[in-house]
Amino acid sequence: MLNLALATILTPFLGAVLVALSPQPVAKHLGRAFAGLALAFVLGLAAVFAAAGKPTVARTVIAFGDVEILGFAVDTVSVLVAVAVVAIGLLVAIYSGDYFSKDNREHADIGRRRFWAFLLVFIGAMAGLVFTSTVIGQLVFFEITGACSWALIGYYEKPKPFASALKALIITHLASLGLYLAAALLFLDTGTFSLGALAGLPAGLKTVVLLAILVAAWGKSAQLPFHMWLPDAMEAPTPVSAYLHAASMVKVGVYIFARSLMSAGEVPEIIGWVGSIMAVATLIYGFVMYLPQADLKRLLAYSTITQLAYIFLGLSLSVFGSKLAFDGAIAHIFNHAFAKTLFFLVAGALSFTAGTRMLPVLRGILAKSPVLGVGFVVAALAITGVPPFSGFFSKFAIFAGGFEVGATHPVLMVLTVVALLESVASFAWFLKWVGRTVPGEPSETMAAAQPLPAAMKLVLGILIVMTVVSSFVATAWLG
Amino acid sequence: MVPSVLPLLALAVPLVAAIGIALLPARDGTTRRTETLHLGAIAALSAVVLALVVEVARGTDVSALGGWLYVDPLAAVFVALIGLIGLLTGLYAWGYVRHDLEHGEIGPRGHKIFHVFFHLFLFTMLLVVTSNNIVMMWVAVEATTLGSAFLVGLYGKRPSLEAAWKYVIIGTVGVAFGLYGTVLTYADGASVLADHEGAILWTNLAAHASALDPMLVKIAFVFVLIGFGTKAGLFPMHAWLPDAHSEAPSPVSALLSAVLLKCALFVVIRYLILTTRAVGADFPQILLMILGFASVAVASFLLYVQKDLKRKLAYSSVEHIGLIALALGFGGPLGIGAAILHAVNHSLAKALIFCGSGNVLMKYGTRDLGEVKGLLRVAPASGVMMMIGSLALAGFPPFNLFVSEFLILGAGIASGHWVVTGLVVLLLTVTVAAFVQIVSGSVLGKAPERIGVGDVGWRALAPMGVLVALVVVMGVAVPRPVARLIEDATAVVVGADRATPIAAPWQKAEPIARLAAPAAPRS
Repeated sequence: MLNLALATILTPFLGAVLVALSPQPVAKHLGRAFAGLALAFVLGLAAVFAAAGKPTVARTVIAFGDVEILGFAVDTVSVLVAVAVVAIGLLVAIYSGDYFSKDNREHADIGRRRFWAFLLVFIGAMAGLVFTSTVIGQLVFFEITGACSWALIGYYEKPKPFASALKALIITHLASLGLYLAAALLFLDTGTFSLGALAGLPAGLKTVVLLAILVAAWGKSAQLPFHMWLPDAMEAPTPVSAYLHAASMVKVGVYIFARSLMSAGEVPEIIGWVGSIMAVATLIYGFVMYLPQADLKRLLAYSTITQLAYIFLGLSLSVFGSKLAFDGAIAHIFNHAFAKTLFFLVAGALSFTAGTRMLPVLRGILAKSPVLGVGFVVAALAITGVPPFSGFFSKFAIFAGGFEVGATHPVLMVLTVVALLESVASFAWFLKWVGRTVPGEPSETMAAAQPLPAAMKLVLGILIVMTVVSSFVATAWLG
Repeated sequence: MVPSVLPLLALAVPLVAAIGIALLPARDGTTRRTETLHLGAIAALSAVVLALVVEVARGTDVSALGGWLYVDPLAAVFVALIGLIGLLTGLYAWGYVRHDLEHGEIGPRGHKIFHVFFHLFLFTMLLVVTSNNIVMMWVAVEATTLGSAFLVGLYGKRPSLEAAWKYVIIGTVGVAFGLYGTVLTYADGASVLADHEGAILWTNLAAHASALDPMLVKIAFVFVLIGFGTKAGLFPMHAWLPDAHSEAPSPVSALLSAVLLKCALFVVIRYLILTTRAVGADFPQILLMILGFASVAVASFLLYVQKDLKRKLAYSSVEHIGLIALALGFGGPLGIGAAILHAVNHSLAKALIFCGSGNVLMKYGTRDLGEVKGLLRVAPASGVMMMIGSLALAGFPPFNLFVSEFLILGAGIASGHWVVTGLVVLLLTVTVAAFVQIVSGSVLGKAPERIGVGDVGWRALAPMGVLVALVVVMGVAVPRPVARLIEDATAVVVGADRATPIAAPWQKAEPIARLAAPAAPRS
């Protein structure tokens, strides 16, 4: 089983090396092929894992003396998240192959090898982060994803993208210092980097280590006070925004927090308080920032910030003893990944066909391009949590968990209610934009739009299906 | 201590090579012969160094010339560095100096001077690290200045001559302080030891360090730190370094930055051992921490604002030397181990990126970051390797500096210096921004029209490829023999019994506690 996990991690790295060594026109095919191969491995792993009755398996890969430096663990949560990040990686690779073309109306580009190499490295690093069982491993992959994100945000090589890329790198690196601290403290106290050792720390030190991890998580998941890099990161090519800044990299934060909560045994309540209060503050801030946005991608960036805040809220509520909130949060990682990728790829498709993603000039998307119109509506409904789309089920679990622990902690009840209100208000706001842009006669810009390539349509179609199906997959898998 | 011919051989090879090349006539037709001799000499030297290091790694400290030369694991680490980086930069110089010759930057005379002084420079550095006689050690450090100054001024242009002059003056004045420290230590030892002449040998001083006069030891350490700290490039004595590193031919910049600074640090570590045994660790540690922190703080900002690629890299060297000094200041097996590992790692990464800057010079003819654009487009292999070098020096995994910087951080936390450690990691973030600027500004982007597509020759790329491989290997998993050698070197510094080697730099909590207690001096 672990060999399959290792293959999932290493295949994309190998692909990246091959891309660097091959001529540019081949890069696209290599990129798609190796992303596909990685997906095949991780699906194989999921099948074997399920067939074996979902046992938790771990193995040390690099050790120094008897200190485990890098190890991997396969369990229910890691397999679920790995499938999501690798599958979306493949979808984005398929989509990007046609997105980077001379026909792109916003950014005509040939899809340089740099893009494919860093995309593949990123897929590998994400898989590595998901499966790793040590804090130092998390730190290594955390930093590698940060470096890839920097390279991909700055892909168009203009001063503004470079500035945004640097901003993203520096802010997430500052946050990563939390993880450095956590790893060093854990090692100095227990002599190991293994996540499992968290449970054995004395209470005071455990609080410090978990808070340090939480700070790192905030940085990568663009939560207050480290949120400002994400909206600027929208300078990236849209498939990159879809993958890194919606589906996977921003999930690194919530994921490492979730893993440390899983491994820490008895978690001090202070972690739950800090986490949930900051989550609700981020929720409110993110919602207020929806209001002035006219650029679809920036709107989506703020929406990502608030959705990640829901996941933090769910995880923090689980500290008070709600298993439901924890499972809801994990399911939300999975569901939001697919729904937000769909939304970003719709935005990218609008750029591709119409040359703009400014909401005020877009009207009549449905009439001109049914797949984009449907995709837009479905993505908006899934993100805001309308049944039967995926977002509803995971958010419902988080809220239900909130009311469960709120019964004994009135303050948590208030926080949950605030989050619920935000959910309703953001639904109203997205509904407003859906109403203005999707139905009706095509506007001038929309009427002049060019048709979408088949591969992009295919990816959008798969994602539309997933917005309905993903929550059932997640629920069934988590049991 | 076992007498051996290997230290003598290691010194003889570069010396003979230098004399041999000097005797060759300098005409257009003879440059190939010089190159052959040069390549043969670095190959022979690396073979001898390998044999020497393996011998020491097996557990026998070797000596020669009646104890004047002495190689223990600590010295072996530095001997290995000189051998390895000497070999790789020597190979790189093969293509680089030939390019300079073909483009008229230097004549056949300059070509000869370069090779003579390259080997003399290696000889003097080897003499520093193999020397057991503290006065000879000082002489050797002084000699490295003279050996390398001609290399810095090789191009004979105004800025390079000025840089060489500045280097000689500051280096000599600085090292004069080192002489005071050396003489004080000898006088102190001579008054205590029964054998007056024996007091000139470091091993004798180290064995009887507890008998030395505490006040004199402290004063001597301050002089040594200022004197050899100048040579190591610690702030505020670093002023010679950016000029010398940026004006020298790139392979020499690599040698200066990767090895010469470490040789000076090696001398400081030798005196750190004496001082710690004589007066305890607190006094030298606090001084090292102050200088180290100041170097990191000043260099990280100066690094950020530089517009010249090689000056940027030079300030980065000041910063990393500062980090090593800081780690020595944090102390303990973890801090010392991290410092030695960082010295090794920094050498590899800095040699890589200075060679990369040489490729930039060959391709663009300038080091101005405002004019160097789009390296990746015109020279893909150089571009990728520059990118790797930059990310490595910025401290990103999976490259080697990440490992040692993480350990230094751990040492800071373990020794309870929370504030200093916290400030240093913030300063290192400034470095990240500075290196990322090199990549986004110069490696990426559109190349100027005048620059044709096509990489520099394989002679320049192959040694860089080896360095990339080493940077990755040391980042992913430090090979067992290398780690053992660094552990042994750490044991030499902390004074632990080498029969039960400590597991630094990865040691566990219990051994740290056990070894933190002062151990008996080594016999």
